[in-house]
Amino acid sequence: MSTITHKPSEETLLAYAAGTLRSPEAAVVAAHIALCPESGALVETLQRVGGQLIERLPPTRLGENAFRNLMARIDADGGESVAEPARNDMIELPEPLRQFSLGPWRWLGPGTRVRSVGVPKDGDCRVLLFKIDPGRRMPQHSHEGVELTCVLSGSYRDEAGRFGPGDFEEADEATDHRPMVDSDVPCICVVALDGQIRLSGLIGKLIQPFARL
Amino acid sequence: MQPSDPSELGRLIEAVGQRRDREAFARLFDHFAPRLKTYLMRAGANPGAAEDFAQEAMLTVWRKAALFDPARAGASTWIFTIARNLRIDAARREKLGQREPDLTDQPDDPEQPDTILAGADDAARVNSALSALTAEQVRIVKLSYFHEKAHAEIARELGIPLGTVKSRLRLAIIRLRGLLSETQ
Repeated sequence: MSTITHKPSEETLLAYAAGTLRSPEAAVVAAHIALCPESGALVETLQRVGGQLIERLPPTRLGENAFRNLMARIDADGGESVAEPARNDMIELPEPLRQFSLGPWRWLGPGTRVRSVGVPKDGDCRVLLFKIDPGRRMPQHSHEGVELTCVLSGSYRDEAGRFGPGDFEEADEATDHRPMVDSDVPCICVVALDGQIRLSGLIGKLIQPFARL
Repeated sequence: MQPSDPSELGRLIEAVGQRRDREAFARLFDHFAPRLKTYLMRAGANPGAAEDFAQEAMLTVWRKAALFDPARAGASTWIFTIARNLRIDAARREKLGQREPDLTDQPDDPEQPDTILAGADDAARVNSALSALTAEQVRIVKLSYFHEKAHAEIARELGIPLGTVKSRLRLAIIRLRGLLSETQ
């Protein structure tokens, strides 16, 4: 695996460790962490800090029968461990993404396909998988809010540099980029996106109402 | 038992995982459920919703106890990640009955003497790393753990620009990483 040079900011990793990221953003950060031991180690450290912060919190009294009610619930449903979640069919995905259902691949333009990832949406923010052929650009899209990208295979290049497997890019309203795939295999990346994708060209405009991305 | 003795808490989780030990689970519940309720109330949940959340988190502890590996994570860290994962669940978040988070700087419990004494254990290491930060860094770190949309709110609360909050938070995290990395 090539070296990972683009990582989430420390604040983003803390927000992930603290559980304050939105679900779609957290899924993309989780994909990066699965590929980047260094970010993983920092998140682990920050989880230890979180554990200790919980430990230091003053207790708040619970209702009189809180424990008894919980045990009754455990007795009622057996309380046994929940079944392993189903796995989707893309074995090449990092483990944290395998648990989500995947929509069908949709054609977005020459050499450009996208499928939705069944992470619960948060407002407009949702998770998409892009598969883009060598030499093609990411489809044009507006940036309303944040866009987080993690490359899973292949690579692309934009004004911020070259992004290969595991690399993470954070773009916001101020960023206007259409990265170009520079690997000789298709580039697959997972993206948490707030804004709308604008399909280019006549065919794009015709299918836009049906694309529901 | 010292309720906050980290290795004892770990043994209790193992007892639940291996033997479905209800006595051990009751002790875990007494220790963690009231703190998990506080955790969610600080995040802006009303007391009823925070209590439901604490119950839900402890139910997950019961179900997943067999997966606990003391070699990989301490008891508090493991419980924290369970609570954190429940919180990430957006569907659940909508049920938390959010009110405005309380940003006043509530004091923590005084240091437990046993965690201060146990120099070798991880809880003591984390506590001493936190005490190496400035008061303002600790405040920003704590608010970041406990509140949604923390950065913008902290900036308003402290009357400093968002970028300043982020850079101070970043320095605090880098400090913690330096003090807590396993290669030391």
